[in-house]
Formats: sequence, C-alpha cells, structure tokens
Amino acid sequence: MNKLRIYFAISSVVFLFVLAISPLKDFFSEWRGYQLAYNEIIKELPQRIQPVDIGIKQLWVRKLDVVDRCTTCHLGLKEKALVNAKEPFRSHPHIYHDFEEFGCTICHNGQGSATSYKESKGKVKYWDKPIFPREYMEASCGKCHKEQVVIQAPILSLGRKLINEYNCAGCHKLEGRQRQWVPSLNGIGSKVNRSWLVNWLKNPKAYFATAKMPNFQLSDDEANTIADFLMTFKSFSNNAILEPLPSLLIQSSESQTATLVEIGSTRLRESRCISCHPFNGKGGYVATDLGKVASKVNLRWLYNYIKNPKHFQPNVEMPRYRFNNNDLTGVVAYMNSEYVDFDMAEPPSHTPDPLYYEKGLVLVKKYNCRGCHEIENIKNSEELGPDLSFIGSKKLYEIDFGLSGISQSLSSYIFTKLKSPRTFSSKMKMPNYELSDEQAQAIAVALLGNTSEQIPEELKIKPKPASTFTPQGKFGKLVNDLACFGCHTMFGRGRLVATDLTLEASMAKQEWIDHYFKVPYSLRPILTERMPNLFLSDDEIKTLVDYMEKVFIADSLTNDILINEATVAKGKLLYSEKYGCGSCHQINGKGGFVGPTLDKVASRLQPGWILHWLKNPQAYKPESIEPNNNFTDHEAEAITAYLMTLH
Amino acid sequence: MRSIKMKRDLLIVFYISMILFNCSRENGLSQTSSASSDSVKSLDALDVGLATTISIHFTYEQRQGKYIYTKYCSVCHGMEGKGDGFNAFSLDPKPRDLSNEQYMKSFTDDRLVETVREGGRGVNRSPLMPSWGGRLTKDELLYVIAYVKKFAVSTDTHK
Repeated sequence: MNKLRIYFAISSVVFLFVLAISPLKDFFSEWRGYQLAYNEIIKELPQRIQPVDIGIKQLWVRKLDVVDRCTTCHLGLKEKALVNAKEPFRSHPHIYHDFEEFGCTICHNGQGSATSYKESKGKVKYWDKPIFPREYMEASCGKCHKEQVVIQAPILSLGRKLINEYNCAGCHKLEGRQRQWVPSLNGIGSKVNRSWLVNWLKNPKAYFATAKMPNFQLSDDEANTIADFLMTFKSFSNNAILEPLPSLLIQSSESQTATLVEIGSTRLRESRCISCHPFNGKGGYVATDLGKVASKVNLRWLYNYIKNPKHFQPNVEMPRYRFNNNDLTGVVAYMNSEYVDFDMAEPPSHTPDPLYYEKGLVLVKKYNCRGCHEIENIKNSEELGPDLSFIGSKKLYEIDFGLSGISQSLSSYIFTKLKSPRTFSSKMKMPNYELSDEQAQAIAVALLGNTSEQIPEELKIKPKPASTFTPQGKFGKLVNDLACFGCHTMFGRGRLVATDLTLEASMAKQEWIDHYFKVPYSLRPILTERMPNLFLSDDEIKTLVDYMEKVFIADSLTNDILINEATVAKGKLLYSEKYGCGSCHQINGKGGFVGPTLDKVASRLQPGWILHWLKNPQAYKPESIEPNNNFTDHEAEAITAYLMTLH
Repeated sequence: MRSIKMKRDLLIVFYISMILFNCSRENGLSQTSSASSDSVKSLDALDVGLATTISIHFTYEQRQGKYIYTKYCSVCHGMEGKGDGFNAFSLDPKPRDLSNEQYMKSFTDDRLVETVREGGRGVNRSPLMPSWGGRLTKDELLYVIAYVKKFAVSTDTHK
C-alpha cells in the first residue's frame, strides 16, 4: 500500500515537471529571443522606435486567405531607420504594395504560420512552397499582373518578351500566348541551297549569332534526312511562281556587273535595309541577319522576293520597295557579290536514304517543326510539350530530376531545363535555345508566375485586349503593302521601332509629311532605325497623306499661339537659361544629341502640338524620356512662340 | 529510513526532468545571443540556384534604380556614372562624375534626391541638368539614388 503511494507521488512529480517543460519551451522559444534582441537594438539607435510587445504577431488577409506570422520576428519592416539593420530586423524595400494589405507569403512563399526560422522558410519535408530565392522574386508579381509589361518588374517583363520571341507557345500551351509568325516552309526547296540547310539545321547560331531557331542537337543523319525531306517542298503557297531572272544577272560582262553593283550599293543604303535587318550583327533587330544571305538563298528567289515579299510569305512584315527593274537587278547583284559566307563549311557527302521522305516526315513530326513553321499538308499537331499554364504550382514529387544532381527546387529545375533542356533525360525533345543566364532566369521568372493559386478576380490585372485597328480601302492596301505596322504603331497596333503615328497629322505639318515620304531623313542622327526611302509614287504619297490628315488627328490639339517679340524673347531665355533644353536638343549646331534637332522645327511641327507636348510629353508618348518640367501655361506658350520662329 | 529513500527518488526524478528539459530546448537561448548574425549566414546558405545575375549584386531598390538610370540618365552621365555618356561631349559644363567617392559622400540622400527632382537650376547649378520631379515618382527618385550611390563605392563591380 505504502509502495503504491510512493509510486503515485513520484509519477505526479514527473508529470508536474513534464507539464512545466511546455511553458518553459515557449518562454525560451526562438521568436522570443529575436523580439528581445530587437528591443535591445532599437535602444542603441538615435531615432525613437516603439519597442515590441512580446508575443506572436499575425497578419490575416481575408481576401487572399493568407495567415502570416512573419512579422513576429521581422519586426522592423516599416521602420525607415532600420534600412541597414541585420536580418530579421531590416526594413522592407519600397514597393508598391503594403504588406499589411496583402500579407507576406502571397509574394515570398514559405510557411506563413510557422514561428521558427527553419520552418518558416519552408525548406522542410512535405512543404512544397519553399521561400522564393531572391532572383526569382518577380515571379510573384506575375500571379496577379497578367499584362505583357509590368514596369516595376523588369525581369518578369523581359521573360514575357522572350517567351513571345522564342515562340514557346508553338509547342507548349501557355495561357494568353499566341503563336508568333515564323516563315512558312512552303517552297523552301526553291529558296535555299541544301548545304546551307544542313548546316542551319545542325546549328542555326553558327550562321548568325542572334538566330531565333533553337539547336535541336540533330545527328548528321537526322539533319541530312530532314534537309532531303524539306528540299522536296518546291511550290509556294497561293500558287506563287518565281519569275525568271533578268538576263543581266545571268550573263553580263565585268564592266556591266561593276555598274550594277554600284547602283545596287546606293539603292540598298537608301532603302535602309539596316533599319530592320542586321548585317553580320550590326543593325536593327526586327528581321533576320543578311550578312551571309547570298550563301543561303538562290538568286532567283532573292530577286522575286524583294520584288514582292508578301507574294511568297503572305504575312511577312517587309515592305515592297518600288524599285524599277534596273535598280532591283542592281540590288540583287550587289547582295550576291557582298553578302557571301566565305567560311561556309561544306557538309560531309551523303547518299540520300531511299526512304528519306518517310523518315523525314517522322522526324519533322517528332521535333514538331510545324509548331512554328507552316508546312503544306502537315497538320498542326496538338501541343507537343507539357502544358505550362500552371507550371508555377507544379509539385516537387511530380518532377523527375534524373541524375542531374541539381538542388531539388522548382526554380532551379526550370532554370536548368531552359539552359540545357536534355540534362534530365537524353530522350527529351526540347531543343537548346542557348540562352544566357540572365535570359534563362527571366523566362523562369515569367513561367513561375503561372500558378493555379486562387486569386480573386478583382485583384488580377488583365492584359489589354490587342488592338484590332485595320485600315481599309486604298490606304489599308498601302499600309499592308509597305508593312508600316512592322515599325510604326497606329491606334495601339504595331511595333514601336519608329514613332507612333496615331496623332501624326496633329503633330506634323502636311507639307512636311509630304516631303518626308520623298526624302526621308533622320531627326535623330544617332539612331540606327531610320525611315527607308520606299520610292513611292506621287499618287501613293497623296493617298497616305490624305488619310492621315483625316484620321490621325485630334481636334483638342489645335491651338493658335500668339507670337510677338516679347513672348519670343521670353521663350528664348526660358529655352537656354532656365530649362537648359540645349542639353538634349540642337539649334544651329549647338546642343545635345538626345532629342530631335529643332533647327527647322517651325516648318515641321504644329504649334498646338508643341504646346501640349511641352506640358506633358508622356501623355502622347509614354516611352519618351523627355523630362516633364511642369511648365506654367505662360512658359509653355512662350517656348512654343520661340520655337515657331525657327523656320 | 523510508523518508530518506523517498528524498533520493525525488532527487532522481528531478535530475531526469532537468535532462529532459535540457534536451528539448535545442532552439532556445543559445541562439538568441547571436540571433541576427546567424540568420544572415543561413540566408546566404539557402540554395538560390546559379548566382550569376543582376539580382545577386543589387538590392531591389538598386535594381529598379538601374533600369531608370539606364533609360534617363546614362545618355549624359554614362553607364558607369563617370560623366562620359555619348551626349556629354556637347555639354558645357560637363556632367558630374558620379563615381567620385569624395564628392558624392559630401551629400546626404535628401540632397541628392532634391538635385534630381529639381534639376540643376533648383540647386544653383547648371540648368543643363533637367528636373525630373515631373517625370519620376517619389519612390523612383529614391531608387535611382540608391543605384547612383553604388558608383562611388570603389571596390564594387558594376554589372
């Protein structure tokens, strides 16, 4: 009996101690240590900072269903004085969102309800959303911001741009991404020479470094078979037929060729091919490199293509230059003599496989060439690669890391996959895009933002619907023929290589536009991308200018400016003394080279435009780097008056 | 006799529980003393993929500042802040050399922000430096200053 009592006493004491451990553990917990350390640190600072009440802090964001206890230890997030403090007390960088409104884990991932360092970072078993490494942070912006360009997230924006450029949507399903235009392969047999094609298939970047086509890592046999197969596609879409070459290009004496080449050289420069096409890496970025084009295509195709590009590639954004026969012959002769690849390696000799057509077809389907290129009689295969619409929410156990030995996280998986696509298994088909680290990281950021998380619709920022502006009639035909959208934007459609034309008639004077079509020149001499001389007829120029004067105009921008000596003098002073406009603009050979020269600005621009532009340049061209000086009405009018005296 | 035995038993129980307690406080006090420096180290040790890109060298503010600087400022001040942008040769006086450590140190952040916001004329310098207050927001001004200050740190590699 007594023994039992003793046992009872002992066990009660044991239980008492065991119970005491739990509050003690809490008392000596990690977060309490941080909070005490925080209160010590802020005492030493000159600024007065409210000490923290000891206890677990929690943020509850109802609309996103987020519960975060990060602020238990990250105590200085809102204290500007703690910019350089050590973690976890450092203040949060300035961003456009308040963390109290959105929570922490919605952007950073990690385990919000955890209260220890290790667990909150989420690098623990069974937690598949570990905290985002710093260089992939911008992926979180992409969860809600679905528009193409997010100004505050440049890495994300670059990634989205690259996804379009490299045409990922050709093989992968990607929400909101359309396939981009890529040259059709119909008629490729009448266009390129076979040796070039084999070399190109084996390594496109060897032909020119900025080639968009990826390296499929084909064996010699595969490349030869695909080349044989593709060379059978001799006829173009729309039944387009190659005209025979003019006799001068086939047979001509040396002196005749010399004159032709000289004409061609001049015309080629006038037509500013370099605005869109790079030549051996130097020049525009819109179109392909022409530095070695004469070794790629045959003369007959080149002659016919320049004569009428859309005849052979209906959706290509290349203008049809109005060359006369002699000029065109010259241009082709010049390109043939100048843009040759002298180092082109002849591929090893190869006896065609008797079954090359069948084998080629299988290979073309295997590598999904049709994903990007249109090929006659080959159906658009269903998306070949995995669906990437929700790749950011892929679970770690779904990923096969193979024998790669990389760290097991989704971000490093996507990064490695982009850098060397066949690391994880040699059976994979994804080609190598030879991306730089920065490019691969940017694409990974854009992809990681595609999550299946439930974000309330009202918080999502959707992309602007694409503009459907399609001019009709004579003007519409000309715009299509001259591929204006390839460089200019009109009503939200087109590229911004050159200026936005939406308000052109309100901006420039009619006579100036008229003259500019005949003799284009660059307003900013430092630019590579300049308006080409399209050799338009007077009738065509009239059609263009008439339409612009009726449509590309805004009534709100017509103002009359009072020009008298006093305002002009005042404007001149403001221009040179107060606002230092001369640091960017030139007048009479004095000034900077950033903005357009203002020498004859009065014969170019409308006074109303100058006035409105000065007041808020970015209202008309958001990408302009002109500073907004907050001019008063009087100042803006005076400067306009001064500029209108410069004829 | 019996009470002595009981006392001994109690003592044993006490020791056992102390041991138990000691074992369970693995994350406790020992970390508090050096809490902040430890956590910085372990943050660096976290796996962050291949560290070759801009985000490793720059904080968020500096990164944002770099994009703004490249777009608006580099034409005159140069990509490395040496005052040698392509537009610099046509200017008199020349753009400020932002990599001059001594000169840059003599200004507070607020003063630098004011210079960018109000331009040269706002701080009694050459009006050739435009005022960016109408173009850049308050935050953007802070970003660009955060980046500009990196030029004057001599040991740094600009990427």
